[in-house]
Amino acid sequence: MTAAIALFVFGAATVALALQLPLGTLRMPGTGFFPLVLGLLLVALAAAQGVRLFLAKAPAPAAAAPAPPPDGATRRVALFIGVIALATLLLQPAGYVVATLVLMVGLLRALGVAWGACALIAASSAVASHFVFVRWLGIPMPAGPLGF
Amino acid sequence: VLESLQLLLGGFATALTLQNLAYCLIGALVGTFVGILPGLGPIGGIALLIPITFGLNATSALIMLAGIYYGAMYGGSTTSILINVPGETASVITCIDGYKMAQQGRAGPALAIAALGSFIGGTIAIFGLVLIAPPLAKAALAFGPPEFASLMVFAFVVLSNVTGGSLIKALMMVLVGLILGTIGLDPVTGNERFTFGSTYLLGAIEFVAVAIGVFGLGEVLVNAAKPPAQLEGRVTVPRFRDLYPSRADLKRSLGAILRGTGIGFFTGLIPGPAPVIATYAAYTVEKRVSRHPEEFGKGAIEGVAGPETANNAATQSAFIPLFVIGIPFGPVPAILLGALLIHGVTPGPLLISERPELFWAVVASMYIGNLILLLLNLPFVPLFANLLRVPKKVLLPLVMLFCFTGMYSVNNSVPDIWMMLGMGVLGYLLRGWAYEGAPLLLGLVLGPKLEVAFRQSVMISHGNFGIFIERPISATLLAATALALLFPLLKLLRRKKPDAAGQPDRRA
Repeated sequence: MTAAIALFVFGAATVALALQLPLGTLRMPGTGFFPLVLGLLLVALAAAQGVRLFLAKAPAPAAAAPAPPPDGATRRVALFIGVIALATLLLQPAGYVVATLVLMVGLLRALGVAWGACALIAASSAVASHFVFVRWLGIPMPAGPLGF
Repeated sequence: VLESLQLLLGGFATALTLQNLAYCLIGALVGTFVGILPGLGPIGGIALLIPITFGLNATSALIMLAGIYYGAMYGGSTTSILINVPGETASVITCIDGYKMAQQGRAGPALAIAALGSFIGGTIAIFGLVLIAPPLAKAALAFGPPEFASLMVFAFVVLSNVTGGSLIKALMMVLVGLILGTIGLDPVTGNERFTFGSTYLLGAIEFVAVAIGVFGLGEVLVNAAKPPAQLEGRVTVPRFRDLYPSRADLKRSLGAILRGTGIGFFTGLIPGPAPVIATYAAYTVEKRVSRHPEEFGKGAIEGVAGPETANNAATQSAFIPLFVIGIPFGPVPAILLGALLIHGVTPGPLLISERPELFWAVVASMYIGNLILLLLNLPFVPLFANLLRVPKKVLLPLVMLFCFTGMYSVNNSVPDIWMMLGMGVLGYLLRGWAYEGAPLLLGLVLGPKLEVAFRQSVMISHGNFGIFIERPISATLLAATALALLFPLLKLLRRKKPDAAGQPDRRA
């Protein structure tokens, strides 16, 4: 149901924004015409899906309910997203190697890897990826104040 | 035909240069890795390697990226058989009988038959491609904007029908992809659209960010949500001398391999995630024609041979719609289309006549690539299987590191990483809601093409929408689309009235 509502809102927003664009004529459809049609179709389908779910829910609520996520799942996923966001923020100012270290340490710890192994894997993958991607493949990853 | 063979020989000359051989080998290797590593499928794998192809010419780039696609079909069977975890979606079926065989100590023959079947299916399908692609391309020259528009709508609806799960959900995903595809510049007039004043959005949504986000990062997040204990499994790596299938195995598999080739080849020509559908179809057929159907699910070698052959044959024939009409029918060809466009190649009916060196070299490289993969997978499979010993809690961060680095290097852009992260969260949520990412990706890549074709059609006809049903090819495609939309409805009615006569034919 959440998905149907989200899609409905997304479709409605598309319609609203498309209406502010030049729609053109049927002979010469303008910039807003195509998105308007797509948005209307999405709104219609999302509404249909919502109604279908609403009708189906009444007789069998147990079958429609999704399985509860396993313990700590939300925490781990949130940690992953947070760590990736932090590494992305650090990439430009601190450089690729620092960002990689943060990324690897954060993700490994989020999955419960012990500190010792975590430090070893993170350090070696940061050094290895610097040599492979920057030195060998010549990808211009941002260098921090330290020069790497 | 004779002319085709001559051009194919020329293609071999190009594909056999040391440089192209090396890219073919890299593609095959990466494909095998991508197939073996659960959590990274061919879509994410190809998207990650696109930036590395920037320095190459279009031919070498496509040789490498195509190698990843069919290489993943070889690699995918390995994890299915050894640890009952499909490396990618086209190997889900292989788990059923493949893992049973491994439990009975027959992992070797299962792996060998999967590789052998993939090779036979792949090479026969490439031969089919050589035979039918050039004449089809000539026929497709009759396509104008209305035909292209109708064909794309047809592709979306059929894809949504066969993707599995609900038709309405898949159609909504197509629409979301199409809407995301309208962000940026209006492809006809050049007006700004939905950019909210951002220069980043002005350049349109980077499809690589969507691909890596939804299919790479999304998958990583899904795995991260599982309890860490569930991420580990024991692996028994077979020894090389155990790999040989017995004479009886070969005899039982031959028919399955040939049928799998046929099924796979034709599935590749239909819109949808062809390799995945091909495996389901091949498994069903094998079970039905078998003289001992009771063995299926208990380690029947045909249950490995048929699907594994079919997915590789489908991979090869899925290149036909891409090369001949320039419309990808599945998510992976859609990614390849995106990569080709980056390299300035626009696939379509004129590709084979205008860029013969590219087309024939890529086709020739597929033969070579399949041979390389057979060699990689038969003797070296124990080596690759050792990869599975890397614990997943180490693998997931490493995959993430690749996504992070690969995403930045596409445009040397930090906003791209943010976009990837957003799309990764979306991909994770979609998985939880049982929505598919593939229709979204296809919609995003084809969106601008569909809009241009649609608007040109309406301009040609001076605003007469009848143009789509007045032209015979376009009308046929739309009629087929309508049937595809009605089909699930018919199924629903039939379920309610079990004694109703006239069963709709799925194969139509």
